[in-house]
Amino acid sequence: MNLPRIRYGRRLNYSDYFYNFFATLTGLTIFNWEFFKQAFVPPFEISEVRKHMYELGVKTFGIVSVTGFIIGLVLAMQSQPVMQRFGASDFLPGMVSLSVVRELGPVITALIFAGRVSSGIGAELGSMRVTEQIDAMEVSAINPFKYLVVTRVIATTMILPILTIYVIIIAIMGSYLAIIIVEPMSFEYYRSSVVQSIEFGDFIPGVAKTFVFGYIVGLVGSYKGFSAEGGTEGVGRASTTSVVLASLLILVFDMVLVKVTLWLWPTI
Amino acid sequence: MANNLIVVVENLTKRFDELLVLENVSIEVHRAENLIVFGKSGSGKSVLLKCIIGLMKPDYGNVFINDKNVLVLSINQLNKVRKDIGFLFQGAALYDSMTVRENLSFPLKRHFEEMTIKEIDDKVKYTLELVSLEEAIDKMPSELSGGMKKRIGLARSIITDPALMLYDEPTTGLDPITSKEISELILNLQKKLNMTSIVVTHDLICAEIIADRAIFLKDAHVAYEGNIDDLTKSNDPFLKNFFSHDIKKV
Repeated sequence: MNLPRIRYGRRLNYSDYFYNFFATLTGLTIFNWEFFKQAFVPPFEISEVRKHMYELGVKTFGIVSVTGFIIGLVLAMQSQPVMQRFGASDFLPGMVSLSVVRELGPVITALIFAGRVSSGIGAELGSMRVTEQIDAMEVSAINPFKYLVVTRVIATTMILPILTIYVIIIAIMGSYLAIIIVEPMSFEYYRSSVVQSIEFGDFIPGVAKTFVFGYIVGLVGSYKGFSAEGGTEGVGRASTTSVVLASLLILVFDMVLVKVTLWLWPTI
Repeated sequence: MANNLIVVVENLTKRFDELLVLENVSIEVHRAENLIVFGKSGSGKSVLLKCIIGLMKPDYGNVFINDKNVLVLSINQLNKVRKDIGFLFQGAALYDSMTVRENLSFPLKRHFEEMTIKEIDDKVKYTLELVSLEEAIDKMPSELSGGMKKRIGLARSIITDPALMLYDEPTTGLDPITSKEISELILNLQKKLNMTSIVVTHDLICAEIIADRAIFLKDAHVAYEGNIDDLTKSNDPFLKNFFSHDIKKV
């Protein structure tokens, strides 16, 4: 697999940036193609996938719990005075939960996940690249792409939807706290308001797109790490650019997927 | 190709952008022979090794290992050839997320699926004994010294009993005593396991211990070839300068 080389240095001109943009797109396309070529061919490295799901996913639960709780809390705190002004306080649980389920939960979780996981994968694989560990695997007749990349991408694709559902639940709990600080509301009433306002169809597009976001996080981190060069500086660069590129792609794909969803199912 | 030739490199040429690193380099390596590749830093020694193992594609030329041209093989065919080759990297390239035991058992688990866990463990322990580092079995690479890493890297390379070993600067960065120990270890292993070795180095002591034959890369070509005495006692001003510097340094 020949990936186009990115130009680095202190004196890059506009043509270099232009070249780097297309080189990155080409590299990601090659990487994407290679993933689909290898993901469905044995060996499937199930134990490695499980290990990465634990390493990359379960250890992210702490940070997404805090983030999810704060999102729900702040969203309810911000919306409460406005809803009260329009005499629509009763709709607050439904409004917050719909926002969290359809958009905020999936996107914020994906961005937090990109920050923690994409940079981690970029740094780990980048370090393996510059210390010749990936070459060592290759000369030992072990397919490094399969062992290092495919397993991580599958793990991130599988774990992000689970994290997102968890964050949605936590955010809804956070919003309940914000509401009861201002006015008394029984949990039963709050729960029934949330359940009534959310339909199963609201969950589908929100959670479905997190499979794509998880895939982006794994693929971008692996691509940046795998193509790292230039010693420790290259490792740092792989880690940083992984987060930036993964976050950017998550937002771009979010826009596209929302549009596609509304086009395919206008009633959702 | 003669039957006792294990590696044949024909007219290998490699350049990086404008920089010509190797030009029409041809070498032959016989079975159970130890070939030393000398050269100044940046003379293309490591590039030559990486082209032989298929990590780099040359711009021109052929590389035959056991009569198979590695440059035209598919990745699966190349991997079959690679199973019979060991490679010791300059920095040992141990997998730093694995213990020494896991580093050594990794290639065995991949390539010898019929081996039981006990057999793999026994083989790991036996190989660590060969490099005198049994006590390091459960250590992480970060807990090892430079010399220990080289030994473990060597153990990992030989654990699959390869017929051909490629060494990229096996003694670089080590003190003279450890460097001599590693060189003697390479020679002992080569005798014990009857391996063929290609050793890239500019360490004269290492070369004197190991070499059956040596070549010298200069200006992208094989400039000199012969046994180690021919090169070190040559009247050629360049070789004299290179080796006298090396001896003084040691």
